[in-house]
Amino acid sequence: MELTPDTNIVFAPWGFGINATIVNTWIIMAVLTGTAALVTRNLRPDVPPNRWRTTLEVIVGGIVGQIAEITERRDPRILYFSGTLFLFIVTANLLTVVPGFDTPTASLSTTVALALSVLIAVPLFGIGSRGLGGYLRTYLEPSVIMLPFNIISEVSRGISLAIRLYGNIMSGAVIAAILLGVAPFFFPVVMDMLGLLTGVIQAYIFAILATVYISSATAATPKPPKEAP
Amino acid sequence: MSIDWITVAAQIVNFLLLIWLLKRFLYRPILDGIDAREAEIAARMGEAAAVRQQAEARETEYEARIAQLSSSRAELLEEARRAAEAERDALLSKARARLEEEQAERAAHRAEEAARHRADLQRRGAEALLALTRKALRDLADEGLERRIVLQAAGRLADMGDDLREAAGDARQAVALTRDPLPEEVQARLRSDLGDVLEGVSLRFEVDPGQSPGLNLRLGGAQLGWTVDSYLNGLEATLAEAAGRPARRGGHDAA
Repeated sequence: MELTPDTNIVFAPWGFGINATIVNTWIIMAVLTGTAALVTRNLRPDVPPNRWRTTLEVIVGGIVGQIAEITERRDPRILYFSGTLFLFIVTANLLTVVPGFDTPTASLSTTVALALSVLIAVPLFGIGSRGLGGYLRTYLEPSVIMLPFNIISEVSRGISLAIRLYGNIMSGAVIAAILLGVAPFFFPVVMDMLGLLTGVIQAYIFAILATVYISSATAATPKPPKEAP
Repeated sequence: MSIDWITVAAQIVNFLLLIWLLKRFLYRPILDGIDAREAEIAARMGEAAAVRQQAEARETEYEARIAQLSSSRAELLEEARRAAEAERDALLSKARARLEEEQAERAAHRAEEAARHRADLQRRGAEALLALTRKALRDLADEGLERRIVLQAAGRLADMGDDLREAAGDARQAVALTRDPLPEEVQARLRSDLGDVLEGVSLRFEVDPGQSPGLNLRLGGAQLGWTVDSYLNGLEATLAEAAGRPARRGGHDAA
């Protein structure tokens, strides 16, 4: 059983192997960008909104609302970051139903990359909001003794983010594969449906947690995140 | 469970690229569209609020006006009633004045009719009196009356000297016309009196049985009459003048 698409080399130009994780990521990027560009190519106030435009507006508006609810402000940079996280992960997780499509989120490399992105983005947002000194002082709160614990907390956040997403998606795929061998007809369909739900929830959790971390780095008193499953 | 760090780096790059792409093709257009729509909605809400505020102000104004109208309705009704009564009084007084004017016109017309009728009665009475007098005088007239008339006329010739000479002009003969032949002494008296007034004028006597009793003296182009008819014509003229109407033109009266 193959657990990660990293080992699946799709093509190797100039001897450099491009695995399925990267290729499928490009596919997801193409789907998202192409759909967005197609829908928003004729976005003028005098043109009445169609079904696709309304759908995108509902999705983006929902993301903006969720972020505003957590951060209590409207910061487009958080939308770009957390919204892209959510859309990428949810699209990747929903595409697991496509036969033969290895979702990039089932790769620990992808989840680690996303977690590293969050780990890098949080201090950048914090420095951008409070300044370098102001941000670094947050590691000394409430006292200097807490410095190592705060650093460990930051690192553990990234690790937990990466492992949580990878574990959930990968476990779903593994369980579906196992059930496919045991009961080929009924259970895989149920598990796939459950996997879709789990994928959407995981995308939501990942994006929300990233938003909470960014919000805690940029604001003094962030609101607690919604209860995660 | 292995981590391919090259894939991790590529995925980070892919993720950053996806952020830029979605920002370029998804977030900015959608957010701009939402912002534009919200701005439009806010503008429309502002317009609606302004219209609503205007409508509320208008409603308040109308309510105040209705209250004012309600409070002054009795006053307006009283004023309208007073105006109607004044109009009625004016119309009544006008109609009364017109009625009085018509009554005065009718009274004047009646008075005029009565005066005309009275005058007519007087005229008819005078005419009847004249006709009766004329008939009586004609029936009663005789030679004696005619003689007396001629003598009376002869006695008045002296007073009419200037008029007679002017009327005679170059005529050398006068004609005395009577109904009956005059006695000689009367003719002599008349010829003598005429000769005293008009020297060199001869007098000729003629008889006309159809003439009214009395004397008609023709002198040149003029004629003087002292007959019963001429006297009655004078009486008729006097009556007509007393009745206020013009006298009828009759024969020349020397009486």
